[in-house]
Amino acid sequence: MEYLLVKFQESRGVIIDGASEGMTNQVLELETGFHSVTLEAPPDFTPELHEFILRKTSVISPKVISFEKA
Amino acid sequence: MLGDADETFVILTFSGGGTRAAAFSYGVLEEMKNTRLPGLNKTILDEADIISTVSGGSFTGAYYALFGPRIFTDFREKFLYRNIQKELALALLNPANWLRLSSPYFSRIDLAAELYDSTIFEAGTFKSLADRKKRPFLIINATSLYQGSRFEFTGGQFNYIGSDILSYPIARAVAASSAFPFLLSPISLVNYPYPDGYKMTDADKMALKDYWNNKSSYYNALNNTMYADKKRHPYLHLMDGGLADNIGLRAVNALYLRGGIRKKINSGEIKRLLVIVVNAKNEPQETLDKNESPPGLSTVALKMSTVSMDNYSFETVESIKKMFADRIEAQMNLDGCQQKLDEHCKDGYKLPPLAGGKMKLYVVDISFDNLSDEAEKTFLKHLPTTFHLEKNEVERLISAGRLLFKDHPEFKAFMDEFK
Repeated sequence: MEYLLVKFQESRGVIIDGASEGMTNQVLELETGFHSVTLEAPPDFTPELHEFILRKTSVISPKVISFEKA
Repeated sequence: MLGDADETFVILTFSGGGTRAAAFSYGVLEEMKNTRLPGLNKTILDEADIISTVSGGSFTGAYYALFGPRIFTDFREKFLYRNIQKELALALLNPANWLRLSSPYFSRIDLAAELYDSTIFEAGTFKSLADRKKRPFLIINATSLYQGSRFEFTGGQFNYIGSDILSYPIARAVAASSAFPFLLSPISLVNYPYPDGYKMTDADKMALKDYWNNKSSYYNALNNTMYADKKRHPYLHLMDGGLADNIGLRAVNALYLRGGIRKKINSGEIKRLLVIVVNAKNEPQETLDKNESPPGLSTVALKMSTVSMDNYSFETVESIKKMFADRIEAQMNLDGCQQKLDEHCKDGYKLPPLAGGKMKLYVVDISFDNLSDEAEKTFLKHLPTTFHLEKNEVERLISAGRLLFKDHPEFKAFMDEFK
């Protein structure tokens, strides 16, 4: 498995590959490969979407992506 | 004591193996019904969330999902004690069926499905299952002949073929799951046009980019999305689920890697995950190696078509054990790092938590090999794959299922959690 940390200034639901899955600011365990990530409503964040490859991560060194308040 | 059993997620997988598998898995269900969770007014069977079944195991799993605890009052008479093979043979010999069987659109498997529908599943459909509004969620597994890959009877899989599973008879799904090569013909499905507005899921779009990163994910998406080409694949033909996975565990692997279980873990909804694999693998007495002359064409053909059924079962169980071990290792690594930080760094920095927290994960793999009684082990392993066993054979299988579940060390460790 791979590890992803979605940073946002507040706790917010995360949408991974089109489905709700986990919260921001927690390390999420996911399958290796391409993923798309956005946040749940309200749409007050930027960018709208991150798309990336998740590989070669560990629980103490997850891939980190960030959303900012728009 | 652990107070909330809802945080416990229990998955059962029932293997193929005809009546042998159906009776063995029934024994496990019976023991689960009789096992109370300490301190809670529930049995471990009340906690069953998913049953994934193949072939003979599909009869037990589907019956329990459809009728619940009624299975413990009538399933022996309705299926386990019956000579289904003889009944099928009689139906084939009945002149009333000859005209129908002469049609290219009606075959032996359709007769079998009719028999199961009228005498076992009482015309139950997937809507009947949905209307119960009760766990467990049922996954009946068959094999797509075109790809040689697993095909599951779920709403998600039916979406790919433009179809609604709710009206589909449970008996036909079980018939497809247990359509043993040569003895029964495949079950065929129509690949319907998609409704207006149908779109490929984001998960499939992403997975189809994964050829070089994750071939399991890539081929899973490829096998599912190929049905979008309605001209090239207007029909699907399904056979025994054992050809792709004879223990029903690959469906669970997929749910753990990328499906509903993964989403529940990342959403912190599962604290304890228990997977019970009931594998009725046998070791039929064969004389192939005793003859100098090679076996005949029919023996070779039968071997070729069935040898794959058990080849990868062991590896599939080991694969899920490895995934669970990796999760526990990740939890321990995070804990260990935080402890070192707490010891050596004075700024109180906290590592981001792992979603799902400190889960407990258990795999209870039940097979005849676990038996300590060598004579009983040999007896059960020599039982053939057939839809007719003697009553005493059925009862010995049920007893073995109960005993092996109750005595499994991983299950004992799971139960200790509740004390």
